[in-house]
Amino acid sequence: MSPITPYTYFQCPCSDSALFRPGDGSPSSPKNRDFGDEDGAFDPRAPRANYSLYPLEYLLYCEDCHQIRCPRCIAEEIATFYCPSCLFEVPSSNIKSEGNRCTRSCFQCPVCIAPLSVTSFETQPDPNLLGAQDHSAAHHGGPYVLNCSYCNWSSTETGVKFDKSNGIHGQLAKQRNGGTTRLTAKERKERRKELVQSGGSAQGSDHIADEHGIDMETQFANLKHFYQTQLSSSTSGGSGFSGLGELGFSSPTSLSRIMSIYTGGGSLHDKKSKSRLGNMREALEEDEGLIVANLDESAAIEKLRSEGLEGTIDTEQLQNQPPNLGEPHLHGRTRFTSELRPIPYLLRTKRSKRCPVCRHIISKPEAKIQTTRFRIRLIAGNYVPSITIRPLVLPGSSGFIQHPDALLQPLRPIQYMLTFKNPIFETVKISLATPSRTPGRFASKVTVLCPQFEIDANTDVWDEALKDDNRRKRKGEESGNPHQQPEVGKIWERGRNWVSVIVEVVPASLRVDLLEAAPDEEGDEEGEASEKPKVKREVDRGPLREDEDLLEIPMFVRVEWEVDAVGEELGSSRDKEAKEKRELAYWCVLGLGRVAQGN
Amino acid sequence: MSRKPPRGEYIETDTGNKVARKATLVGTQNIMLGGKTVIQQEVMIRGDLIRSLPSSSSSGGGPPSNTAVAIGRYCFLSRGCCLKPPGRLYKGVFTYMPLRMGDHVFVGQNTVVQAAQIGSHVNIGAQVVVGEFAIIKDFVRILDGSVVPANMVIPSFSIVAGQPAKVIGEVPEGGHDAFELRDLYKSVGNNPQPAPS
Ligand SMILES: [Zn+2]
Ligand SMILES: [Zn+2]
Ligand SMILES: [Zn+2]
Ligand SMILES: [Zn+2]
Repeated sequence: MSPITPYTYFQCPCSDSALFRPGDGSPSSPKNRDFGDEDGAFDPRAPRANYSLYPLEYLLYCEDCHQIRCPRCIAEEIATFYCPSCLFEVPSSNIKSEGNRCTRSCFQCPVCIAPLSVTSFETQPDPNLLGAQDHSAAHHGGPYVLNCSYCNWSSTETGVKFDKSNGIHGQLAKQRNGGTTRLTAKERKERRKELVQSGGSAQGSDHIADEHGIDMETQFANLKHFYQTQLSSSTSGGSGFSGLGELGFSSPTSLSRIMSIYTGGGSLHDKKSKSRLGNMREALEEDEGLIVANLDESAAIEKLRSEGLEGTIDTEQLQNQPPNLGEPHLHGRTRFTSELRPIPYLLRTKRSKRCPVCRHIISKPEAKIQTTRFRIRLIAGNYVPSITIRPLVLPGSSGFIQHPDALLQPLRPIQYMLTFKNPIFETVKISLATPSRTPGRFASKVTVLCPQFEIDANTDVWDEALKDDNRRKRKGEESGNPHQQPEVGKIWERGRNWVSVIVEVVPASLRVDLLEAAPDEEGDEEGEASEKPKVKREVDRGPLREDEDLLEIPMFVRVEWEVDAVGEELGSSRDKEAKEKRELAYWCVLGLGRVAQGN
Repeated sequence: MSRKPPRGEYIETDTGNKVARKATLVGTQNIMLGGKTVIQQEVMIRGDLIRSLPSSSSSGGGPPSNTAVAIGRYCFLSRGCCLKPPGRLYKGVFTYMPLRMGDHVFVGQNTVVQAAQIGSHVNIGAQVVVGEFAIIKDFVRILDGSVVPANMVIPSFSIVAGQPAKVIGEVPEGGHDAFELRDLYKSVGNNPQPAPS
């Protein structure tokens, strides 16, 4: 197991199961919890905890609710869409019509996802022509290809070349792999119109589809066309068994309703058909949009035989492939590398965030893509004291200095310095509570030497300089000689807006054979926490599970401070009791590191 | 250059740059340092790779600048990293293009950077390769061991990792201050101050 540096995670109140399942007695509820009592202590290893613990940077704060908000509970609103490669903004109206990918010339390699660049296909040995490799010097007009500079994939491998060096997206849409052209949806519509006008049967998609079979877009168009004609020509079939009446399958009403959903716009809505009952027939041929699954896979098998496994694409590449309406349905087909298409970049967004409870905006970036400023950015770090963890190294101690990343030695007590930094402009009072033994099979002992203390306000930076000399005095006054051993009930060190306290930990031994039968109620509780409610007295001597060697301390933090009462004018509140008490309480997890195994 | 201690590990310039004596800066006249930048030992900056084309050809009338590498303020180049201007064929001639770097850019140990442009508040981890002509915008974090492919554009607030690198996450709103390198600057040099807690 690789060692880790100490970390602190904070829990968002949205995970408070009391809000969702009152009376459940779930361990993750900070309500009904007694300080110093292990009942109801938060278990960082519980599966639910994964979804509620965040580093402080990820948390926001609602000033109206006075609560922490996390990425899981905030409501997001998209402010701007943009392409992460060309950094152009895409208007939201385009998203509806063009989809969520960049329609300029930004593509990713279908093999390795590195960016593709447009280069001239000319690879003449003549050095004078090599200049064409730069696509800004595009006047050569030769065919262009998309090239991956990372894995050397080229669109020529799938037989795709371009006439122009710009507007690649549009050119690619008209091209199948292998270089044959395909009709775009618009062209197909026009073609169909021509056919109808020239007196041919409306179902002439034999001419529309090419030798590649009917692709998905064509199939959809055929189906749509079929149902459209059905709707307009259906003269109440009236045949008996439409017991479901208007709601039945294949009834004109439900059909037109469904079609208006999936084909956009209410253009198909036919008022006359509303009164009609009865069934219409379904599509029966390819021209009408019926495509029978091709169960004959011999072609794919043959190709596999000749190309081998290297010729196929893996699942990750398949997932990265953009939806391609220009190919037939996947029935009975295998994916080969020759079918890969360049991946147009997925658009990215700038989003503002709202409090889930009061709906106030708590984060709002400037809409422009090139700016990184925010109009509103209420980050939790400006309201909640940060906690940093460092192993305590006493200046007087012998040369042995434990590397902060080293593994923790079982049963050897180790002291950590927790530094709380107050970000607000008021003095805050902090109360800490931890279970005396960490939850889980391997319970480490935890003692916070000074669980209650005050931190001075985050005063002006200029005051810091003046106060600086006081720091040492305060430290001396509160914990005596700084070279002394840490003492119970005393803080370790104090600064302008921070206080360090000591927590002492005795890491558990990870030896399964040393596990004792639950000696007391505490043991029961642990058994419960590790989702094993069945037999409590039995010792679980199973092998070490994932992350059981991780020493994490749940810690409940309560921050109390006073603010000037709202609505009171500054200065006039002196005489009155115009102070308002505020309180913020939450669970944290202090991750100290991994415990060494084998002793 | 003021040299307070006779033989410190670093040369500290008037503008506050701290350049390790064991760093290799080639073509120093083409390297611009904005000030308060730390260059650790075994760092190499290739200022000798200047553009070989007259830059006036397209942009007409610009001052002929020979800058090969431009570095902003409060950048930190860790031990063993290398900054090398990117080069390519342009109209039949091979030429280097300048490498520009904003403020508060951290470059990890043994990392090679050949980007065309790096914004401000960028953290590039250790053992990273940033390919030629990559463009890295502000507030980007590139994790250790990543290989950023040539020509890749990394938009602001991206967390990037992998080989080839891809965007794996977003820098959270509360994570902006972590890019600040003022304290790190103070913690190295000939008279380092301990980092505040
Ligand atoms: Zn939440
Ligand atoms: Zn784009
Ligand atoms: Zn590739
Ligand atoms: Zn709110």
